[in-house]
Amino acid sequence: MSQPDQLLLCDQVGYTVEAPSGQLDILNDISLDLNTGETLAIVGASGSGKTTLLGLLAGLELPTQGRIHLAGEDLGQLDENARARLRRKRVGFVFQSFHLLPSLTALENVLLALEIGGFSAARERAAKALEDVGLSHRLDHYPRQMSGGEQQRVAIARAFAGDPGILFADEPTGNLDRRTGEVIADLLFSINQEHGTALVLVTHDPRLAQRCARIEEIEDGRLISRHSSDGSHEVDESRRAADRPSG
Amino acid sequence: MNSFALSYRLLFRQGRSGTLGLLVAGLIVATAALVAVSVFTDRVGRALERQAGEALAADIAVNSRAPIPERFDLEAERLGLETARLITLNTALFVGEDSLLVEVKGASQGYPLRGGLETASSSSGDSQAADRIPAVGEAWMEPRGLRQLDAEVGDLALFGVHELPITRALTFEPDRSGGPFVLAPRLLVSIEDLRSSELLGPGTRARFRLLAAGDEQAVAAFNTWLKREVDSATQAIVTASDADEQTGAALTQARRFLGVAALTTLILSAVGILLSALRFARSQRDLVALLKSFGATGSEVMSALTMMLLWLVALAIVLGGLAGLIAQAAIAQVLVEGQETGLPPPRLWPVLSSGLFTLLLAVGFALPPLINLRQVPPMRILNQSLDRTIGLGWVLWIVPVASAMAIPIVQLGNLQLAAIVLGGSLALALVLALAGWIAMRASGALATRARSSWRFGLAGLRRRRAAGVIQITALGLGLMALLLLMIVRTELLGQWRGSLPESTPDHFAVNIQPDQVDSVERALLEAGAERLQIRPMANVNLVDSTGRLDDDRFGRQVNVSWIEKLPPANRIVEGTFFAADATSQVSLAQRWAERTGARLGDTLTFESGAQRFTATVTSIRDVEWDSFNVNFFILMSPDAGQRLPHQNIASFYLPGGEESVLREISRGFPNVSVIDVGALLDRVSDIIDRVSSAAQVVFVFTLLAGLVVLLAALEATRDERRHESALIRTLGADNALIRRGLLIEYGMMALIAAFLATVGAALVGWLLARELFDFSYQPSALLFIAGFLSAFILVVGSGWWGNRSVLATPPVRILRTGKL
Repeated sequence: MSQPDQLLLCDQVGYTVEAPSGQLDILNDISLDLNTGETLAIVGASGSGKTTLLGLLAGLELPTQGRIHLAGEDLGQLDENARARLRRKRVGFVFQSFHLLPSLTALENVLLALEIGGFSAARERAAKALEDVGLSHRLDHYPRQMSGGEQQRVAIARAFAGDPGILFADEPTGNLDRRTGEVIADLLFSINQEHGTALVLVTHDPRLAQRCARIEEIEDGRLISRHSSDGSHEVDESRRAADRPSG
Repeated sequence: MNSFALSYRLLFRQGRSGTLGLLVAGLIVATAALVAVSVFTDRVGRALERQAGEALAADIAVNSRAPIPERFDLEAERLGLETARLITLNTALFVGEDSLLVEVKGASQGYPLRGGLETASSSSGDSQAADRIPAVGEAWMEPRGLRQLDAEVGDLALFGVHELPITRALTFEPDRSGGPFVLAPRLLVSIEDLRSSELLGPGTRARFRLLAAGDEQAVAAFNTWLKREVDSATQAIVTASDADEQTGAALTQARRFLGVAALTTLILSAVGILLSALRFARSQRDLVALLKSFGATGSEVMSALTMMLLWLVALAIVLGGLAGLIAQAAIAQVLVEGQETGLPPPRLWPVLSSGLFTLLLAVGFALPPLINLRQVPPMRILNQSLDRTIGLGWVLWIVPVASAMAIPIVQLGNLQLAAIVLGGSLALALVLALAGWIAMRASGALATRARSSWRFGLAGLRRRRAAGVIQITALGLGLMALLLLMIVRTELLGQWRGSLPESTPDHFAVNIQPDQVDSVERALLEAGAERLQIRPMANVNLVDSTGRLDDDRFGRQVNVSWIEKLPPANRIVEGTFFAADATSQVSLAQRWAERTGARLGDTLTFESGAQRFTATVTSIRDVEWDSFNVNFFILMSPDAGQRLPHQNIASFYLPGGEESVLREISRGFPNVSVIDVGALLDRVSDIIDRVSSAAQVVFVFTLLAGLVVLLAALEATRDERRHESALIRTLGADNALIRRGLLIEYGMMALIAAFLATVGAALVGWLLARELFDFSYQPSALLFIAGFLSAFILVVGSGWWGNRSVLATPPVRILRTGKL
């Protein structure tokens, strides 16, 4: 079983797909964990498997090997609908390409997520979330009327509006210029801290990764090294086994 | 690279990747349905004309009171038409001691050019098809003439200077008009015998007729030539529709039915083309931005895209045209009975006009959004949120779309019909669009108050506002076309068929004297006659009027009757029909009143022998002349019967064993003539049958095209739905919520589309029935319930079926792509 404050537990997870040339291992023997309020960056080159890992951790898909516990639930034991219900209360998302619905206003985009989650006083909550990201004056604007940075702020407001236990962010600054990217990152981390949310961040931007308490580096589908925000750096295949949580 | 090469390569590459598959499929289905239905209805229409041509024994004829000049024949022959000549006149015929007024017809070789004669070896013998006309020196006589003269085949008939042996009993002439007022029996001889009979001297009242038949184009050319050449004072052009009241009316109805059926398919095809065209324009947005970012100018891109569209349309026209031709041939084989009479071969014109229709509509619908694409900024390639809503460019739509719509109007040649169906569809489209727009707005407001899946479903409607309005309009129009065809096929065709029930009177007995009425009635009833009606009839001259009449009409003979109440198949359009005890009143048929100029309130004086009858016009009637009832132009109040010398006329239906009955009647009442109009009835009934099976074929095509349009309409937003459902699944929505949401969204669209389509179909059906078909059609509650329910189920069902992939889209794909 996972420990009481352990939000995420990933145990010897592998992911294999059928390819024309035979079986293709996307992820191999991945183990990691995350406690409430912790921040974790997963870094790696394009094609290393980091986005797939994020999808598995969030329960968007199931691993072909190993098991994942999210908020105390074994994802492997839940069907797709049950995983969706788990996400609506406990998980927030921020995507690289924002994924706002173009025909909805900023407020409606945030509202939609809250409506799915069945939150009460959704409208007030959505407005407050947008106010928190500094967009109280843009509630009725459509995505096309906003800059990339503003759109990502709406996405952040959407992610935090339901007060999730864990936030998954996939290259949240990948589509933004450096300065805007930094502003967005500041916002992301400050709200994260404020809400005490755990954060799993996938990026190939080392500066962004540095802001997380822990960094896992992935290469060819395997975790190869672990950094800590204090600067220590380990590359040790064997320690992962020792690190494996009990349960 | 020039635009031509660019368009070719773009087409080739996009085609290979399957991007354009759905677009081309939509266009192909639309064109195929259009070609299949227009070619098929054209063939059926021509077959009907040909069949109706039997009523004339030709495709076209010229009637004349004087001999017809030789050049008329020469021109017809030059055009490749077959010709024949007829001369008819009334004269006394003597057989032994007896004499009888007969109508002698002299026919030249080749007569009849359409249909065939039938003869029997005796007046009561079985009918057989005859493949010739009487040779010089022989005569064929109608059985009732033989009966009246108490003669038989083999006797000698004396007319003019000739004494000819009667060699056959003439049982059927295709061009014998079958009204009850044909008093004189027929004697058919060769035209040479008639010419040499010395009956055609000066002052003769002979009628001359030139018949022509052959290839449709040649007939049309001859008609055009005739219009220039005939002397309207003595000559008239006659077509099949003019030849016989009932056949002509049936043919007109048949043309209308086929026209409506073809138009419904046309509406569906137009909707299909619209959806395809919009989809094409939409799918090219990325490409435009990409090409622009590579340095292509706006006009280069536009010409390449326009050419690409033309390539696609050309491909769809060729493939759809072929598919349509094959399909109509196959279905015609399977569904159309009576292949022995055969359908004429397909013509090129309906294929070409369908192709042109597709081309104009596709261009009309696709070009405005394409032209808008000129404004797509190259930046879109970097940021899709720079997309702008595409404007409609109203003015640009109008020219090609209006030209396209002109094609069926020209083809049908019936502006009123086209106006009702197309105008009705246009009005419905506007109402649908408006209702759709209101629904989108309202659903937004409702969504904020509703519970979760309702909120999601209603928000779905609002999210796809523009697409939703187009979808509702397309769905509604498609459904209306299907429902309208259903109404036409079941209710209106059913009424038409019902107007000619099994027991429609197929015999007339004329010249029944007043003192014979009771005994003839008894004899007929004993013989098994059904639906017997006996009506008085007087032949009178109109001699005076208080109103202003066409002078030519004075002195003309007309058959009149009197009656106590308004007979069936008559409807008062002006004034009030006289009461049973009214005196000196007269009711006129609308057609006669219009021809003579007689009006309500005029006082008319009629004369018969030494008797006069003066009466005031108190009502004008609309008469169903094709109803096979005994109808009269002039109906008088019953007091006329005491003053005017008259005889009586009976109409009845005689099931089986008729020859012996007719002989008995003739023997018992030698003065009474019995006329068999069964063959004529069969001709009309054949026309109805043909139209019914044609409507069935069209219904099958329209249903298929309708389903494709429905799927295409719903397919249009599938990509968006997939993206959305993956996104909200990521945000935590489960399948049930998405499914309920989709169901609510489709349900709302179906509700609006099905409701308005049912109302629209009922209204258009009612208008058609009233204005064109002269039926009294009341939309039934069943139509509303069944039509609405089936439309609703169809939309929700096809939406559901077409969107299975939405539910199957794994949410993880949202991480991989900006678009799904």
